[in-house]
Amino acid sequence: MDKTHTLTLLRKMIGEDKDFRPGQWEAIEAVASKKQRTLVVQRTGWGKSLVYFLATKLLREQGSGPTVLISPLLSLMRNQIEMARRIGIRAFTINSANKEEWAAIEEALAKDECDLMLISPERLNNEHFLKEVLPQISGRIGLFVVDEAHCISDWGHDFRPDYRRIVRIVQMLPRGIPVLGTTATANDRVVKDVQAQLGPGLTVHRGSLARESLRLQNIRLANQSERLAWLAENLPKFKGSGIIYCLTVADTERVTGWLKQKGFSAEAYHAGGNGTMDRRALEQAFLNNEIKILVATVALGMGFDKPDIDFVIHFQRPGSVVAYYQQVGRAGRAVEKSYGILLSGAEDDEIQNYFIESAFPSTQVFLDILQELEKSEGLSLYEILARVNTSKSMAEKALKILEVDGAVGQTSDKKLLYFRTPNPWVPETDRINRVLDLRRSELAQMQAYMDYPDCLMKFLLEALDDPNPVPCGRCANCQGKGFSASVSHELVIEAENYLKGTQVLIQPRKQWPIGLFPDQKRNIPLELQNAPGRSLCYYGDAGWGKLVQSGKYQEGHFSNELVKAAAHLIRDMWQPNPFPGWVTAIPSTRHPKLVAEFARRLANSLQIPFYPVIDRIREAPEQKTMQNSSKQAYNVINTIRIVQTISHEPVLLVDDIIDSGWTLTMAGYLLKKQGSGQVYPFTLARATSRNANG
Amino acid sequence: MTLSPDSQTLLLLCSHLGLSSASEYAPLTLKNWNPLAKKLLSISKRPADLLELDKEELKDLLEITEEEAERIAHLLQRSGTVAIELERLKSLGIDVLTRADADYPLRYKQRLKEAAPTILFYAGEKDLLGQPGIAVVGSRHLDEAGQACAEFVGNACGLSGLVLYSGGAKGVDSISMNAALTSRGTAVGILADSLEKSIRNPEHRDAIYRGDLCLVTPYSPNAPFSVGTAMGRNKLIYALADYAIVVASDAEKGGTWAGATEALKSKWIPVFVLDHPDMPEGNKMLLQKGALQFPHPFPEHHQELKSWLDKHTAEIKSDLSQLSLFY
Repeated sequence: MDKTHTLTLLRKMIGEDKDFRPGQWEAIEAVASKKQRTLVVQRTGWGKSLVYFLATKLLREQGSGPTVLISPLLSLMRNQIEMARRIGIRAFTINSANKEEWAAIEEALAKDECDLMLISPERLNNEHFLKEVLPQISGRIGLFVVDEAHCISDWGHDFRPDYRRIVRIVQMLPRGIPVLGTTATANDRVVKDVQAQLGPGLTVHRGSLARESLRLQNIRLANQSERLAWLAENLPKFKGSGIIYCLTVADTERVTGWLKQKGFSAEAYHAGGNGTMDRRALEQAFLNNEIKILVATVALGMGFDKPDIDFVIHFQRPGSVVAYYQQVGRAGRAVEKSYGILLSGAEDDEIQNYFIESAFPSTQVFLDILQELEKSEGLSLYEILARVNTSKSMAEKALKILEVDGAVGQTSDKKLLYFRTPNPWVPETDRINRVLDLRRSELAQMQAYMDYPDCLMKFLLEALDDPNPVPCGRCANCQGKGFSASVSHELVIEAENYLKGTQVLIQPRKQWPIGLFPDQKRNIPLELQNAPGRSLCYYGDAGWGKLVQSGKYQEGHFSNELVKAAAHLIRDMWQPNPFPGWVTAIPSTRHPKLVAEFARRLANSLQIPFYPVIDRIREAPEQKTMQNSSKQAYNVINTIRIVQTISHEPVLLVDDIIDSGWTLTMAGYLLKKQGSGQVYPFTLARATSRNANG
Repeated sequence: MTLSPDSQTLLLLCSHLGLSSASEYAPLTLKNWNPLAKKLLSISKRPADLLELDKEELKDLLEITEEEAERIAHLLQRSGTVAIELERLKSLGIDVLTRADADYPLRYKQRLKEAAPTILFYAGEKDLLGQPGIAVVGSRHLDEAGQACAEFVGNACGLSGLVLYSGGAKGVDSISMNAALTSRGTAVGILADSLEKSIRNPEHRDAIYRGDLCLVTPYSPNAPFSVGTAMGRNKLIYALADYAIVVASDAEKGGTWAGATEALKSKWIPVFVLDHPDMPEGNKMLLQKGALQFPHPFPEHHQELKSWLDKHTAEIKSDLSQLSLFY
């Protein structure tokens, strides 16, 4: 195999002045010439994609079939695909979002005009893909690439059940087909595990993980307002662009709102809000430096590559060193000096513990789902949710794991149905506990990192089993200086007011949940729907959230401060039009006076009357114990009634916390049926299901 | 599941797995494969030896035409996609047996010889394939006597440790199979329609899970029912069993008739036909063609079924020749 020829190709891709990075040629040679099974462990930005693109090119020149590349983050590989096009590599991706291109892609495959097929791990279980697309590769796979190969291991920080399927496929692949695994983050234990699973023939190519330009610093600040103030004070000190990572979708929105208010060019980036965000456009604008700051969840993930990022700031502390290193490693790929600053506050552990606890469905959920499936030939997701009390996302997680375990199959004859296979299944409690223990110890390691007094880079490298961890001489601890942790008092007050002034929209429900009324249409008639409403805050969050929490569960009384804030929001910020003529409240027999008494004071403050017209027929289990829409709506539907004739004016419908929204939807439906005007829901707080991937 | 290289080769050559429906290369039929298998044996090669060869080498080794060599070379290149498809089948509970596997049912090789299917897809307990048992066949629509007979034979099999063989379809098949399974017995269904679909049936799934049932098909696991597939699999029902009982047959038409006359002619096993006053015309004609009478109602205790069948076939020798080694 010709190294000079390969170097020419490399230069065509990334520039005439470039050369192989140490290890690149060796990896390419192992795959394309020796046809070995190879694992490449190199830091992000080292150029792993060059290895599989160049290997693909060389293999294609030898007459091999196309490469199949499995990656969990395809949407983020667009830059690399552009680059590969420069050496004539025709890469295609098939995913649920590009259905309109499938026919053309299948044709290209049939004509052998595709060199590289990128797919997500989930595709490997898709009937259409297996039966229509894959056979078009004329059956010939030239190279099988597993991106983010650490996901194979239980010990990897983001173990994905789909990767177990990949392992089984690799084990069945004939020896003649080279396999390449790539990862930026694999400590010794993960590498060993990947090796064990992919077979002993796997050769490992491992490089140093250190980043020469990165300056690390950790700063502890008490609460969110102090951290917002710190951002406003310190962001002007950075010349170029950067990323601020948050743990939740709500936090990205909050931080972005604040930064915009303070005049920064910032945008939120996440996969929440029904995934309607145009993330591709945001990435592009960020790449072009039209946006200076991207405030992102982990949705801004592994494949995103912008060389000139000056800083990565963590608004909250990530759950593991691996995740942290991967995120902070986005800074400084092609700049002299870059900063990685980790802010940490009181809520971090609470959020991380929530992530750990909700990482896996309970054994009961698995068993309940299987029991329901065993009674039938197949159920849709909604039919499962109507029978099993778990959230949609938990049910989906459980189904995914059961599918990979071979206990459940999918079929899409007419609609997507899940069915029980004849394969036996036992809960893998040990495996799950092992993963959870690992996550807890990773969290503990991050806590230790936060307060580590010596070289921060060395701490990270040691944690990642870097072959040669040495003190960096650049981090705040090595230098003995860094950004100040103190912030101006005025800014903190301003941030606090900002946090208290954010209003949360309540979108009216337009449909009853599927499976609730078999004999009725699912749509709620327009004239019986609620108007859009507002919540004062997110439950338990910075701003008013803590006050609502203590009011509900400690004092048994919502403070006057909350009444004032609510009245201010409704009258001065929200300004519903036509303005409500009266107030009513959702009663609860558990806390008979709590909401009614708050609503009466709020009505007073708004100078409109309060009529308690809603009654609970019997007490239902607390709504938050109901895990999904069908169950929640069912829970509420027969417990509310209207007890007296009511005013025909618009009404403000008050509750303390909105969870599913079914209580408000049902109450509004009944109020309107009894002839009320517009129904405006208002709640003190919105319950948060913290969604990291959102 | 790790396939032997020989089995993998057979899968590549003879199955539709990982082959586009629009592909210009069809998998090898039995007619295509058998001469190649013989050729390999004659030159002391194994199927797996083909994996490493290119088109020219295939042509020389197997002494075949350019086009045939191209077709085989193309089929052999699918190992990656076949691996992925096999993984999916495995996760659904479906496995593969090929003529090159030691576990492949011996009775197929002995009785069907070159007509033995190269590939079987199955779900459930494969060791049931070829265990002593009785095949029950008949049309989907049954009269009362037929229904009672199907149930009786199924029950008797279940209670006396015999495998109940059937086509796994509606009517006589499912009646006798369910009777065998509910009396804690075992059954084998040789399917002519989608195996993937059939294992979603809760009763089938439970029986497979218990190890009491094996569903098997020589066709693609998702192939829909067709007259052709139904005709082709008839012999596979007879050839696994010790005895066959034809419950009801049309005269000179239909799958049951075709299968029964084929079985009578081939003499794999003794073929009985349900004999009662209102029996269908087809039953009468099969009796004339040499099928044995199976009385209704059965005159003895159900546990005597096997010895009754033995007794009434003592003078009949099935026509089995020596097994020769082949893939």
